[in-house]
Amino acid sequence: MSEVTLVEAVNMALARAMSVDEDVVVLGEDVGVNGGVFRATAGLQERFGEARVIDTPLAENLIAGTAVGMAAHGLKPIAEIQFMGFIYPALDQLLSHASRLRTRTRGRLTCPMVLRAPFGGGIHAPEHHSESTEALFAHIPGLRVVIPSSPARAYGLLLASIRDPDPVVFLEPKRIYRMVKQDVADDGRALPLDVCFVLRSGADVTLVTWGAMIHETIQAADALSSAGISAEVIDIATIKPLDIETILESVEKTGRCVIVHEAARSGGWGAEISAQLMERGLLSLLAPVQRVTGYDTVMPLFRLEDRYMPSVDRIVQAVHATLEFE
Amino acid sequence: MKIFKLPDLGEGLQEAEIVEWQVQVGDSVSADEPLVTVETDKAVVDVPAPRSGQIAKLYAAAGEIVQVGKPLVEFTDGDDVRSDAGTVVGSVQAGDARITEQPAAFARGKTGIKATPAVRALARRLDVDLTIVSPSGRDSVITKADVERVAKRLAELGPPELLRGPRRTMAQKMAQARSEVAPATIVEDADVQDWAAGTNHTVRLVRAIEAGCVAEPSLNAWFDGHSLGRRLLQKIDVAVAVDTKDGLFVPVLRDVSNRDNDDLRRGLDSLKADARARRIPAEEMRGYTITLTNFGMIAGRYAAPVVIPPTVAILGAGRVRDAVVAIDGAATVRRIMPLSLTFDHRAVTGGEAGRFMAAAIASLESS
Amino acid sequence: MTAPFIFDPLQYLDPDGVVVSEPLPEWANDVATLIRLYRTMVETRAFDAKAIALQRTGQLGTYASSLGQEAIGVAMASAMTTDDVLLPTYREYGAQFWRGTTMAEILLYWGGDERGSDYAGPRRDFPISVPIATHACHAVGVAYAMKLRQQLQVAVCFVGDGATSKGDFYEAINAAGVWQLPVVFVVTNNQWAISVPISKQTAAETLSQKAVAAGIAGRRVDGNDCIAMKQAAIDAIDNARNGQGPTLVEAMTYRMSDHTTADDASRYRSAEEVDAHRLLDPIERLRRYMESRGLWVDAEERELRVETAKRVEQQVKVYLDTPLPAPQAMFDHLYATLPRALDSQRQAVIEDE
Repeated sequence: MSEVTLVEAVNMALARAMSVDEDVVVLGEDVGVNGGVFRATAGLQERFGEARVIDTPLAENLIAGTAVGMAAHGLKPIAEIQFMGFIYPALDQLLSHASRLRTRTRGRLTCPMVLRAPFGGGIHAPEHHSESTEALFAHIPGLRVVIPSSPARAYGLLLASIRDPDPVVFLEPKRIYRMVKQDVADDGRALPLDVCFVLRSGADVTLVTWGAMIHETIQAADALSSAGISAEVIDIATIKPLDIETILESVEKTGRCVIVHEAARSGGWGAEISAQLMERGLLSLLAPVQRVTGYDTVMPLFRLEDRYMPSVDRIVQAVHATLEFE
Repeated sequence: MKIFKLPDLGEGLQEAEIVEWQVQVGDSVSADEPLVTVETDKAVVDVPAPRSGQIAKLYAAAGEIVQVGKPLVEFTDGDDVRSDAGTVVGSVQAGDARITEQPAAFARGKTGIKATPAVRALARRLDVDLTIVSPSGRDSVITKADVERVAKRLAELGPPELLRGPRRTMAQKMAQARSEVAPATIVEDADVQDWAAGTNHTVRLVRAIEAGCVAEPSLNAWFDGHSLGRRLLQKIDVAVAVDTKDGLFVPVLRDVSNRDNDDLRRGLDSLKADARARRIPAEEMRGYTITLTNFGMIAGRYAAPVVIPPTVAILGAGRVRDAVVAIDGAATVRRIMPLSLTFDHRAVTGGEAGRFMAAAIASLESS
Repeated sequence: MTAPFIFDPLQYLDPDGVVVSEPLPEWANDVATLIRLYRTMVETRAFDAKAIALQRTGQLGTYASSLGQEAIGVAMASAMTTDDVLLPTYREYGAQFWRGTTMAEILLYWGGDERGSDYAGPRRDFPISVPIATHACHAVGVAYAMKLRQQLQVAVCFVGDGATSKGDFYEAINAAGVWQLPVVFVVTNNQWAISVPISKQTAAETLSQKAVAAGIAGRRVDGNDCIAMKQAAIDAIDNARNGQGPTLVEAMTYRMSDHTTADDASRYRSAEEVDAHRLLDPIERLRRYMESRGLWVDAEERELRVETAKRVEQQVKVYLDTPLPAPQAMFDHLYATLPRALDSQRQAVIEDE
């Protein structure tokens, strides 16, 4: 058991996966000698060699496409895209190939790959390094999208993703890469995919979120608690396939839901959750589902970053609004 | 296609000799059926029909040589220009339909009751009619608390007495009238000072109605609100409102124009007796053309009685009283009967109603 | 060390089937080998004509013809082992048939049924690739896996001339070079990318010279000369297998057909141009050579035609007799195990009958 940060937990999971399965390889830009720009792959090349920890040429499309080929031919590649801002050339390989290789060959060829990328804002980075476009990937049938929000969940969910026989896009919220430490046992135990994690129990309102926003959401829940409002906090973790059952159960109890995400509002994943709650939980809802999100603008450069991203205050206000609805 | 050309047979061959036609001019052929047998340098081959169709012309005879790419067979229909598919994959259907679009008028709906689905479901469960709930939420939204409050109140009051019989009928008819009729009322007084003692008020009122209908037949009619049509009726069948302890009955005095006053009187008496004894069959309460309500026998002066569709008029008579009126500039006391005529303004004009009233009053004021 | 780049296209037989470069390779003396190459090309063409007829009669969806290009796929496949992996585009039926993919499977694919890509024969081959050049990166991944596992296998990736303009292509040959992977990239230069002629595709004089930029070996071949094509295949595949890295083989040919059955090439190229290229036919060429050496006679030709026609008919029957997939098939194989979140949708499709 050791106290690790989220990015260290990622590193632990990668090392564990590579040590028990020779078919697991890591590829990406600067992942080898440099150990990754966020040190997610630190030490791996020394331990497992250049053939299995590959410094690729600068070509995101190649990285994803190579992973597809490797996976089809029996390896378990974990491809790293250095930032979500650079992931878009790889979208073609994910959408046109990774997500559909199994179905278009009726299971003859499969694609057990993981594509990891740090994402999200809040580190005062230059342009293009603060994106949150998980909804684009969540829209692709056949793909899994997983977002950890704590070191323990990063370890367990990454192991699960690596072991999953289908392609997973694993998005790591870089703002909380090192924000907290947590005791994580390097025991090789995976956490379940496709399920939500209920982080706080509550009766008055259901807060649904993922990634770095967990922290603002928990803080909001604390602030609400002092005002006598008990909020249930759910980390959905697997964006797609979504475990709507857990959220529904919670909303049946509380009657009110606030979804928090960093990504832009329209077409964000909160819209899908809201639609499903409307379809199946309408008679439990006492107020419309609220979304506290980034605005429908290009992510501003870092001087305005904090105004763009949902704050504790905005979350608290949304909860009050939903409670005051009737 | 209309003209089918000898296709590329492969191996760089440029021509073929017709060995045998498998079709004649006029034959119908199905797609992929053998059309013709040809022989090349290398082999004897069947050329399949590229489409179904009827053969119009054969371009060569058996034994003749045809070049690849030259006409072989012509079909009776089709065109010989390979139409541009306008795509490189799949097929994009072309249609002939022409569309014109008019901007649609966006009708604003009327705002109804505002309540969330959960609150509505609660109201259903508690059997609360949302129309009787006063909303306390912002923007006149009915809240859960509102529904619960009303449910509690209704529970305290106990279950409602369900209307039966004539009360039920009245509730239904009046609701229907409310939703369909466009009522307007005029009121006037009739001077009945000169009536002999023992005059039967109701008979006089029936005669007054008859006089009004003669003057203005449009008040003795049935109006059809759906087709916006009316039927002027020859017979005057007057429905007479009768108050009983079981509720309102409206039996019909048929064909009043062709009956004398005694007959009318006898008819009225038996209707009232039968009504009170609940002996009146349902048919006797249907098919009336105009209504009289003599509420003045109880109390009341003027009213705006309710027109029951499909009729278009109802005359109400209030209590006869001594009133001070002006005659030739001097105040004097006369016996006055107040009258109220409600008419359905969809079918009857104010002028018509006024003339009806005038004629009815003239009848009442005559001796 | 600079990877070798050979500019002059390799050729043994001229368009008339006359030997123009001696000596012929050793293996070309084996009649059985020549005959098998010839038969597979004939079969490919017969299949192709039938597929077009099926499309024209509404029994097949859009289909991409391989007319005139048969030698390239057949020759390359003939130099591969069973365990090597083929990554085709959509005009390599010759290679696919050589390796055991059936005509019925290809027809099912173009007929709109995923089961057509579930090859019973070559289980590791990639299916037909419609997106352009993306599979070049897959070939890199496959070859990497082969090298890592020391499998002594080779990945053979086909792309067209248009594909060489695309990023995936450059990224793939570059990575193959820097990692020295056991992969052969075959660029089928049939001169046309739908309506865009090679002259509008690139300023590079040859496509094989793009190998220089990637630091890998490059080779040009007359793609309609089956003997040259097979020799180039052997050279490239052996080098890859022996750890000498990738080769980019540019096979010169001509697209005798429309781009697909929905395309009408007469919109952008002349009948005269097409006719002129008929003289370069690969099947005709090999046949003339074999006949000139007394290795093939008319009777054998006729027999082959009859046999081929029968085989094609039989495979077409298999295709036409295949029942429609159940509608819920679209959920099958979407994931290894269908996620619970999709159960209700799958159920809805079933109940929609």
